[in-house]
Amino acid sequence: MTFTRVTQNMMSQRSLQGLHVSLDRLAKLQEQLSTGRVLNRPSDSPTDTTAAMRVRASLAETKQFARNAADGQGWLTQIDSTLQSMVSQTRRARDLALQGVNAGSASTTSREALALEVEQLRDSLISLANTRYLDRPVFGGVTTGTSAYDSDGQYVGVPGQVDRAIAEGVKVRVDVDAATAFGPQGANLFDDLESLSGALRSGDTAGVRAGLDALATGMDRLTSALADVGSRANRIDRAVQRTVDDELALRTSLSEIENVDLPKALVDLHLQEMAYQAALGATARVMQPSLMDFLR
Amino acid sequence: MSGSFSSLNNALGALRYNRVVMDVASSNIANATTTGYTRRRVEGESVGAPAQPAMWSRYNNTGEGVRASALERMVDPFLDARSRTEHGSLSYLQTRKAVLERFEAGVGEPGDNGVSAALAEFKAGWHDLANNPGTEAARSQVLGRAATLVEAIRIQSRNVEDEAAAQRTHLETVVSEVDTLAADLAETNRSIAVGSFNGTDVNALMDQRDQLAMRLAQLTGATTQQRADGGLDVALNGVSLVDGASANRLTASVAASGEVSFAVVEPDGSAVAVGPLRGEAGALADVLAVTLPGYSAGLDEIARQLADDLNAQHQQGYDQLGQPGGPLFSYDPGRPAASLAVVVTDVSGLAAGGVPGATLDGSNATALAGATGVGDAYQRLVNGLGSEVASVRRLTANQAALTAQVDGSREQISGVSLDEEMVSLLSAQRAYEAASRVMSTVDSMLDTLINRTGLVGR
Repeated sequence: MTFTRVTQNMMSQRSLQGLHVSLDRLAKLQEQLSTGRVLNRPSDSPTDTTAAMRVRASLAETKQFARNAADGQGWLTQIDSTLQSMVSQTRRARDLALQGVNAGSASTTSREALALEVEQLRDSLISLANTRYLDRPVFGGVTTGTSAYDSDGQYVGVPGQVDRAIAEGVKVRVDVDAATAFGPQGANLFDDLESLSGALRSGDTAGVRAGLDALATGMDRLTSALADVGSRANRIDRAVQRTVDDELALRTSLSEIENVDLPKALVDLHLQEMAYQAALGATARVMQPSLMDFLR
Repeated sequence: MSGSFSSLNNALGALRYNRVVMDVASSNIANATTTGYTRRRVEGESVGAPAQPAMWSRYNNTGEGVRASALERMVDPFLDARSRTEHGSLSYLQTRKAVLERFEAGVGEPGDNGVSAALAEFKAGWHDLANNPGTEAARSQVLGRAATLVEAIRIQSRNVEDEAAAQRTHLETVVSEVDTLAADLAETNRSIAVGSFNGTDVNALMDQRDQLAMRLAQLTGATTQQRADGGLDVALNGVSLVDGASANRLTASVAASGEVSFAVVEPDGSAVAVGPLRGEAGALADVLAVTLPGYSAGLDEIARQLADDLNAQHQQGYDQLGQPGGPLFSYDPGRPAASLAVVVTDVSGLAAGGVPGATLDGSNATALAGATGVGDAYQRLVNGLGSEVASVRRLTANQAALTAQVDGSREQISGVSLDEEMVSLLSAQRAYEAASRVMSTVDSMLDTLINRTGLVGR
C-alpha cells in the first residue's frame, strides 16, 4: 500500500514557514509605508538606486547653478542701474559742454560755474564707477581692493573676468570691463571730463568742442556696455527659469523612483494583513484535531 | 502433534510482541518533536517450522506465534545525503546574505548622508567659493565639506575592515566547531561499531551521528559515505576529515589579501590542502577573499581618482595670497581610501583663482567643481554591491524552498505521525486483549480436560 505520509511536524513546519513568509511581506510593506520610500537600500533595486543617485547628483548641481545664476543676476542688476545713472549724468555733462560752446564769450563767473558743475559730475561719476556689490567693486575686475578708480580717475582695479557657471560648462560674464565701458587708461571718461572742465574754465572753445566729441564717444561706450549687460542679464534670466523647471522635473522623477506609491502600498498592506490573518486562522484550525479527539 | 501447552506459548509470544509494539509507539510519541529523531518501527515475524530440523525428524506444529525480529529506523540514506547537500548550500547562501546585508546597511545610499551626497555638497561648495572668492565663510565651507567627504569615504573603508575582522573571528569559531564535531562524530562511529557488534540498539547513536553529519555539512558542505559498520565517513572536497573512529583537524589561514586557504591536518601532523568549501566556512572564505576586497579595491580606486583629479586642478590655480596652489588631498598609495586626508588646513590655501597674484578671480574654483567624474565610479560600485545582495537574496529564497521540499520528503519517511502511532497503539491493544482471550480459552479448555473428564458414573 502506498500513500503519502503526512505528519503533525510537517504540517506545523509548513504552517510556520507560511506564516514567516507572510509576516516578512507584511514587514516589507510596513517598512515602505513608515519610511515613505521604496528604495531603502541598494539591493531593493540596484538599477533604481543608480538612477536615484544620478538624479540626486543632478538635483544638487541644478540647485547650485540656480544659486550661481541668482548671484549673477544681482551683479548685472547692480551694473545695469549704475550704468543708467552714469549715462544720464554724462548726458548732463554734454549739455553743459554745449552751453560752454555757445557761451564761449560769456563771463568768467558763468564759465567757472559750468566748469564747477562738470567737476562735480566727474566726482559723482567716479564714485558711481566704484559701485560695489557684496563689497566688490563691480568695475574693478578681480581686484582685492575696495575701489576701481581712485579720486583722480585713475584705474586701480585688476583687469579680469568675473564669471558665473549657470549650467554644465556654460559660464556667463557678470561684470563689465572698465576699459570697455569708460575708455582706455589715460583717455577715459574721467580724463575727458577733467580736460573739459579745464577748457571751460579757461574759455578755450576749441578745447570744449574736442571735449564734446570725446563725451559723445564716452556716451557710445556706456550705451553699448549697457546693451551688452542687458543681453547677458536676459541670458541669465532664461537660465534661472530653466533651472527652476529642471529642478521640478528632477524632483518629480526622484520621487517617482524613491518614494512609495501610497494608495498602492496601502491596498497591498490591507491584502497582506488579510492573508496573514487567514494563514493564522488556518494554522489554528489545522493544529487542533487529532485522532485523540475521537478515541475514548 | 503439538503439545497441549503450545497454544499458551503462542499467546505469550503475542503478548510480548504487542507489548514491544506499544513500547515503541509510546517512545515514538514521546519523541514526536525531538530534533533529529527518526521514527522506529517494530518488524514482527511469524515463527514457523524450522527449515530443516534434522535428517529424519518432522515438524508437526501448526505455528509458534510471533516474535519481534527487528527494530527498524525509518530512514532513506540517499534522501539524508541529499538533505545534507541542500543544507550545506543553504547555509552558504544564508551566511553570505547575512554578512552582505549588514555591510550594505552601512553604505547609506541612496540618501542624504552617503558619499554621493557628500560629493555633491563638496562640488556645490566650490561653486559658492567661485561666487565669493574673498569671503572666509565660503572658503571654510569648502574645507569643511572636503573633510566630510573624506570622512564619508573613510567610514566605508573602515566598515570593510571591521567586517573583514569580524568575519575572520567568525571563521575561527566555525573551524573550531568543525574540529569538535569531527571528534564527536569519530567517537560516535566507534560506539556504533561496538554497539552493532554486540547487538545493542544503536538507533539513538545513529540519530546522533546523522545530526553531527548534518551540522558538519552546514558548516563546510562536507560529503558523507556510509561505512559497513554503520558509521559515517566525512570528506571535505575529497579530503577525508573523519575516517571511522579517527578524526582529523581542519585549519584555515587568512592571507593579508583576504585569500583563505583550508587544510586538513592528520593526527601525525601532516597537512593536506583542501579546495574551496561550501557551507558557512565557504561563505566566509568567499566574503573575505572576494566580496570585501573587491569593494575595498573599488573604494580605493575612487579615493585615488578623487585625490588625483582634484590635486591636478588645484595645482593649476592660485591661492588667496597669490601663491600657486599645492595638493588638496593626500593618501598612502597602498591604502588610498583608508588614508585619504585633506592637506590644506588654512582657508587661504585654497587655490580658487585662475590667474597669478592675489585676486578675487574664482575661475579655478569653478573648474574644481567639475574636476572629477568620480561620482560615476561610485555609482557603479554601489550598483555592483546592490546587485550582488539582491542576487544572493533571490538565490537564498530559492534554495530555502528547495531545502524545505527535501526536508519535507525526509520528514515524510522519518517523522512521527501521531495518528499513525495512535492507530498502532490501538491495534496492539486489541491484539493484546485477543491474545489474553486465547490464554483464558486455552485455560478453560485445559480446565475441562483436567477437572471434568473421566467422571462418568461418579
